[in-house]
Amino acid sequence: MNRNIPDPSSPAAPGNQAPVTNDSANAPYAGSSFGGSFAGISGLDIGGKGIADVQFAQAMAQTHLAICLCDPHQDDMPVVFANRAFIKLSGYEEHEILGRNCRFLQGPKSDRQTIARIRSSLRNEEVLVVEILNYRKDGSTFWNALHLGPVYNADGKLIYFLGSQWDVSDVRAARAEERHAREMARELSHRMKNMFAVIGGIVNFTGRVRGIETEAREINDRIQALGRAYETTLDDSHRGTVEVGQAIRAVLAPYDPGSTRIRFEGNGLRSDFASVSVLGLALHELAVNAARHGALSQENGYVTVAWQRNIGEHGPAIRIDWSEHGNPAADQATGRNLSGSDGIVDRMLDMARGGIVREWGEAGLKASLTIPLREHTD
Amino acid sequence: MTGTLRSIADPCRVLVLDDEPLILLDLEFALEDAGCEPLTALDLVEALAIVHSNAISAAILDVSLGQGQTCEQVARQLADMGVPYVLHTGDLDRMDEGVRKLGGTLVPKPTPAAVVVARALEPLAIRQD
Repeated sequence: MNRNIPDPSSPAAPGNQAPVTNDSANAPYAGSSFGGSFAGISGLDIGGKGIADVQFAQAMAQTHLAICLCDPHQDDMPVVFANRAFIKLSGYEEHEILGRNCRFLQGPKSDRQTIARIRSSLRNEEVLVVEILNYRKDGSTFWNALHLGPVYNADGKLIYFLGSQWDVSDVRAARAEERHAREMARELSHRMKNMFAVIGGIVNFTGRVRGIETEAREINDRIQALGRAYETTLDDSHRGTVEVGQAIRAVLAPYDPGSTRIRFEGNGLRSDFASVSVLGLALHELAVNAARHGALSQENGYVTVAWQRNIGEHGPAIRIDWSEHGNPAADQATGRNLSGSDGIVDRMLDMARGGIVREWGEAGLKASLTIPLREHTD
Repeated sequence: MTGTLRSIADPCRVLVLDDEPLILLDLEFALEDAGCEPLTALDLVEALAIVHSNAISAAILDVSLGQGQTCEQVARQLADMGVPYVLHTGDLDRMDEGVRKLGGTLVPKPTPAAVVVARALEPLAIRQD
């Protein structure tokens, strides 16, 4: 078995070097503190070039990255050096590795196209990074992130191919799981949107045939606002919480098609799912009012919506400040009559152990909503 | 019926394709309200038959029609004929490139039926101006 190992600084072709045996007395660094103490290093010809080379050889042997060197000048390009990590990863003994072509790592499920790419890179002396399913000695498989590339000597002559192997099975499993979760969320989102569209159809149909179209429209608008608020929860449903700002934006989007009249101020505050329906419906009602009688009914009127985490009387809460601007005509009497004609906002927020406080300033309505925040420990 | 009056020679026929009957019902009403003549299709075969035997002014197409079918074939035909259409879908990301490239207006589900119809009829209003 030829155990020649490269010396990047040596012009000599590896085949010309005398075979080095396992006998540590013949190794160039015989007697050094690491001689023969780790796999694969015993044959490494460091050419007596000093401490830097010794340290390099040591690093090659000891790194947790599995490394092997193959000799392109021998028949079938055998492995001539494999470090300890390579031995551990593959499950083969050193003597079972050296002298064999690296394809012993491949098996029936290794992708043929990937193997063809490896071959072509070797032929063209190119660097290649691929992921390939490899087999250990015991037949078990692992996903190998294989880096391979040519090693040249000082004269630019090809002396070795270096391969580094990294077991990325866990990474791939995590990626697959994430992809699956994303696909599930998307499918769920698709079905939910469809269901809300169907519900809208049913409500409209019923309203029409019963002659209560106005009521039906009001019901439908509320349901659709709920749908928009929930839609945002699907993207990261696995977290069990919802980003409050996303839900707010989604609910209010139809009231500001040009994205100029509703201004948002808030951070990435998150809340549990239970708050979404109350929050979504309350903002919908405020927006409907603003569009009918408030700032959004005025040409230059606008609304700012700010949300933050607040410590209230009964613990943490989401506080939302709804401020209308440019609606000087607003007055408390009409405002009170118009704000949620059936009182759904107040009653809902009460029921959620939250509340709403309304004030009518010179610029228009200012409403401050609180909803208790049930915080999750992530 | 609140729709605008049109001459019999120029009926505003609108194809509506969706695999969900309740959505078709809703859109059918909204189209009648807008003074149009709705022609409804539950699947590709029905939709293609309508396109072949009627002069269509506009169309509202659901993208995913179940069993892996999409409205692409109908959209392509309408595009070739110069008939404007909207893609009414709950799944904007999943639409394959083929459908997206055809260039229909996207209307996300759920959107109120009256708004979907208004979007579908927008190109016609511009033409009449």
